[in-house]
Amino acid sequence: MYTLTGVTKSYQKGRRTVTALKVPELVINDGDWLAVQGRTGHGKTTLLQVLGGLDQPNTGSIILDGHDLTKMRQSQLTKIRGESIGFIFQTFNLIPTLSAAENVEAALVPGPIASAQRHHLVSEALDSVGLGDRARHRPTELSGGQQQRVAIARALVKQPQVLLADEPTGNLDEHTRDEIIALLEQLWRQNQLTLVMVTHDSRIARRAQHLGAMKKGHLTVWPNTHQSPTSHQAPGGRHD
Amino acid sequence: MFFVTYLRRELLGRPRQAAVIAAGLALGIGLVVVVSALSSGVREAQGKVLGSLYGVGTDITVTTAVQPASRSGGFNQITPKPYPRHTDVLTSSTLGTLNASAVSSISTLRNVSAAVSGLVLTEITATIPADNAPPQSSFQPPVQTSVVGVDADDTGYGAFSSARLAAGRGFTAADSTANVTVLDSSYASAHRLNVGSTITVAGARLRVIGLVQQNGGSNPPQVYLPLARAQQLAKLTGKVNIVYVQAASAALVGTVTDEISKLMPSAKVTNSANLAKGVAGSLATTAKLANNLGKWLAVLTLVIAFTVASLLTLAAVTRRAREFGTLKALGWRSRRITGQLLGECLALGIAGAVLGIAAGFGGTRLVSTAAPNLSAIVQQTNIGKDAFGGDLGANGGVFSGQVGGPVTTYANPSATHTVAVPFHAPITLTAIVLAIALAIIGGLIAGSLGSWRITRLRPAAALASVE
Repeated sequence: MYTLTGVTKSYQKGRRTVTALKVPELVINDGDWLAVQGRTGHGKTTLLQVLGGLDQPNTGSIILDGHDLTKMRQSQLTKIRGESIGFIFQTFNLIPTLSAAENVEAALVPGPIASAQRHHLVSEALDSVGLGDRARHRPTELSGGQQQRVAIARALVKQPQVLLADEPTGNLDEHTRDEIIALLEQLWRQNQLTLVMVTHDSRIARRAQHLGAMKKGHLTVWPNTHQSPTSHQAPGGRHD
Repeated sequence: MFFVTYLRRELLGRPRQAAVIAAGLALGIGLVVVVSALSSGVREAQGKVLGSLYGVGTDITVTTAVQPASRSGGFNQITPKPYPRHTDVLTSSTLGTLNASAVSSISTLRNVSAAVSGLVLTEITATIPADNAPPQSSFQPPVQTSVVGVDADDTGYGAFSSARLAAGRGFTAADSTANVTVLDSSYASAHRLNVGSTITVAGARLRVIGLVQQNGGSNPPQVYLPLARAQQLAKLTGKVNIVYVQAASAALVGTVTDEISKLMPSAKVTNSANLAKGVAGSLATTAKLANNLGKWLAVLTLVIAFTVASLLTLAAVTRRAREFGTLKALGWRSRRITGQLLGECLALGIAGAVLGIAAGFGGTRLVSTAAPNLSAIVQQTNIGKDAFGGDLGANGGVFSGQVGGPVTTYANPSATHTVAVPFHAPITLTAIVLAIALAIIGGLIAGSLGSWRITRLRPAAALASVE
């Protein structure tokens, strides 16, 4: 799915150049679940952003299914995001003036699917996250866990190949966190997604197939040999 | 349709911001509508003034100044006799005379659609005291009556054109030298005259064949005569003292004015534009207010409204940066996002237009209700001259001289007269279309600035922003 080679991303902070990301080589196979941990400010979100084409690295290449994201124009990256990549954010990032169903539908709007068909897909997506009866509720009328379920539905409604989740349980209480992770795991398995998740929580990370540690922009990845019993060991390799 | 749903939700979901932007635009647009209505009202009022002076359909008048040596009307120095005498003269004391052929020359000009001549006269009846009578005891003020000679062949222009027949009939071509007259109905009422009555003008007995009514605020002539008969009675055969001209179109009035001025360099050629400059009174003040202060106030308010709308939209884009970043993450192109924002701004602009037009209607209703009748003080274009070439003032006496010596009599024309004009401020379709256009422009300006901001948003930076 993903092949990263010599990827770096730096920012200018006054006179200093800060290296946010430095990945000499990384391969993420189809269907892999990679959980990346690390302290705040060490480049985890930057990694997700370059994987999702939301930001461009300064050097290197990022090949996604044979397409080099670093050589694409913004419009091409937007198209790939619309078709193949789903995002889940720590703060849910739902549009506050739209209902749950309309938030999910927003992910289908750029695509070629007609309006009537969209409604059907939206209903299915909300049902799959257990919120079929909350379709008309606004985000302010939903709990944190429910909002994140809507965000998950939004990410998956277009049946992407890749799901990028940035601290998906960071704003949730413990009980809700477990629910969300269980849901994500279930959906990962069902849809054969490639899931790259950033998390602080080791208990969540342990459920993934591969673990990554981000330290000052440097990523180290290894297989999770201590995977928790509820996780499924999908085929896939890893590289440091 | 998702576009409409998102737009509606966004405007209804952030009502305060939407209300501020729409209200700001409404204020500017409402002011534009009111100023436009005031300007239309002033133009209409000025047109009424001109119409009351010269009749409907007249764009230009041609006159000439009174010359002392050629002062018309046979109103000369009168030597008192040892007995009182009565005089009744018809005189062109306020305007000089033109040859009647002038109207033919003017008619042949290319951009003239009609030219009609007339005679604006004053009848003065007075009793001249005996030379041995004490001045104070026998003084009786003269009576002045305004008389106009109209072209019986063409009463569609000039002083007769805006008259409405109240009784009897108007003039026909057969009346050109007949002893007939049409009276103003107010004058007839005051003198207990009707159709069939007779009056005496300059010694001729004339039968009243019709009564007419003019606009309430105008200062119409009291007596109308067929032009040829008026020329005979005023001893002005072959002469006229005013030509009423209609241009081929409103846009050609200036051109025709210039052409007539070249054709008749010594004549005074007056059109509605330069006549309006000579109009004083509250109408003139209102015109200045509407055209100067009102216009600039409306422009300033619009600029402020557009600026506020743009700044609020930019602020909204900044506040919604994470939302737009999320949409970009979902696969929305910048074009789609800016289209959404432009739609929101246009909707607010249209809301501002509707509110502004409503406010404009309210404002103009208030003005029309509260505004008093305006007055237009119109200067006479020519001041009469006395036997010695001096100007006849507005308060000039009829008699001068002393008992036993020569007495100079001269007419007592008013140098100015006041026309009352009811004022209202109509909202024209043009003003409404202008209001909507301005609202759309305001919305587009605000939306364009916001759109520019969106296109510069990097998705990663937008997602990292804090709402």
